[in-house]
Amino acid sequence: MSALKSLNIAGAAVAVMLGLGLIAPKWLLFLTTLAASHGLAILGVVVLTRGGGATFGQGLFFAVGAYVTALAASQAGISDAVVRVLLGGLAAGLVGALVAPLLARYRGIFFAMLTLALSMVAYGILSKSTALGGTDGFNLARPTLFGAELTGDSADYVLYALTVAVVGLASAWVFVYFRSSSGLISLAVRSNALRVEYLGASSRASLALDFTIASVLGGLGGALTALALGHVDPNFAYWTTSGEFVFAAILAGYQSVAAVFLASFGLEIVRSFSNLYFPTTWQLALGVFLLVVVLFRPGGIGSLWADRSRRPGARKRGERASVKGGVAP
Amino acid sequence: MSASSQPLLAVEAIEVSIQSMPALRGFSLAVQPGEMVGLIGRNGAGKTTFMRSAMGHLTPSAGTIRFDGVDLAGVARHGRAALGIGYMPEDRGLVPQLTVEENILLPVWVSKRLKAKERLDFVYGLMPEVAEMRGRKALLLSGGQQKLVALGRALAAGTRMLLLDEPFEGVAPALSQRLAEVIFALKGERLAVVISQSDLNHSRRLFEHEYVIERGANVGGTRRGVEASEAPSHPLP
Repeated sequence: MSALKSLNIAGAAVAVMLGLGLIAPKWLLFLTTLAASHGLAILGVVVLTRGGGATFGQGLFFAVGAYVTALAASQAGISDAVVRVLLGGLAAGLVGALVAPLLARYRGIFFAMLTLALSMVAYGILSKSTALGGTDGFNLARPTLFGAELTGDSADYVLYALTVAVVGLASAWVFVYFRSSSGLISLAVRSNALRVEYLGASSRASLALDFTIASVLGGLGGALTALALGHVDPNFAYWTTSGEFVFAAILAGYQSVAAVFLASFGLEIVRSFSNLYFPTTWQLALGVFLLVVVLFRPGGIGSLWADRSRRPGARKRGERASVKGGVAP
Repeated sequence: MSASSQPLLAVEAIEVSIQSMPALRGFSLAVQPGEMVGLIGRNGAGKTTFMRSAMGHLTPSAGTIRFDGVDLAGVARHGRAALGIGYMPEDRGLVPQLTVEENILLPVWVSKRLKAKERLDFVYGLMPEVAEMRGRKALLLSGGQQKLVALGRALAAGTRMLLLDEPFEGVAPALSQRLAEVIFALKGERLAVVISQSDLNHSRRLFEHEYVIERGANVGGTRRGVEASEAPSHPLP
């Protein structure tokens, strides 16, 4: 699939989602908005996992995105939703790029524990900071969009539409990245970092790049979630939040971008319904579900169709690879 | 820069230990530009250790490894391929999820010098059978085919020198013959080649220089055409 085709598919999916949003009941609209915004953070975890990094600290970027979006309005007077979301993604990306070189020196469980440590430090700071509302967090000012005030039910739909649009663009971007030479090198780093170094690629640089992309996606997801909820609190950075992202990422597998949002949607559905009917034991249902996936679909739900689609077209893909190799630096 | 007096690869008395077990003990070796060199030794003699040291995976505690006059101690592990060194590990080490062509192109993608088309033409020109499987996933290849692709990948990266670790090991005789054919077709390509082997087989007569390694140390070298049994081991250059 070419970059243009992936953009078309993403565009078509966004158009369908925008149409469905018009007829969806309010609760479903809200749930889908949250599933999509969380999906972005999960997509970040998937990008990182695909490149051989395990993270338990995606919540850090989720929180940075959310708090920056919130503070942009209260401190800097920026109310436009699009600008705020972009600021959230950018800020998280900056934080990610700053710590990436340090983290990329480590692999496996050490890498994961360091990400967890960083996110818990952020959690601690946010909880203790009275200016930011401590553990209670604070409410966000209502966003505007291109100068227009958002009120009532239309605001929900506009935020939904914004989320879907950002998800569409981000997915297409990740899709293109996965098939770029850097994206394929990440795959090689995952399977054997040492071999890749023998071939002249720096596995640290590759992991750092994946980590930075993951942080941007986490930030965008956090920003959109904050706008939809209208509230931010330190739980955005808490380890259970990061854990949920990892959970959904394992559920999705790393072979398909669409699977990420399906997994996220499934998680949100299960969460809201089980929370309603058996509030204290719903994690049990999730645990059993994950166990089934790991046992019978170790590649995640994405492997249901991604495996099949890559096999028959193998010869064609090879020819395309040579063209792409020519363009790559 | 690299006049014939100055070897392309100059390894001088390196000491390498793996978990405090000495694996190379004062090992030396010199490869001239375009020269084909054999490194002969039993299993465990230190052939792979030497290659890994040259590629930066293991760090010598003493001695130097110079490539074209540059001390490799100061070159990062991933910087060595950029010097034009192609390495074919003993266990092939292809990336299973990538296609054959993507595997071969991997070193080209990260290089500023290498041109994809030029390198592919070179590799496919030498091994047309690899061109035929270019679109297949490395995962789906037989062990022998993987060996050919691994050689192709080393050829894509190695514009000046190839380090081939036991290329003929563990493949069917016909394929081993084919690998030898490809490797020795490189003679005159101005590409230096170091081949490690555990036995003295058909490829032997084609080496310009041969080093014998035993328990991590040099035990002697012979010039081409001189049988080891007839010639006393002569001093290394």
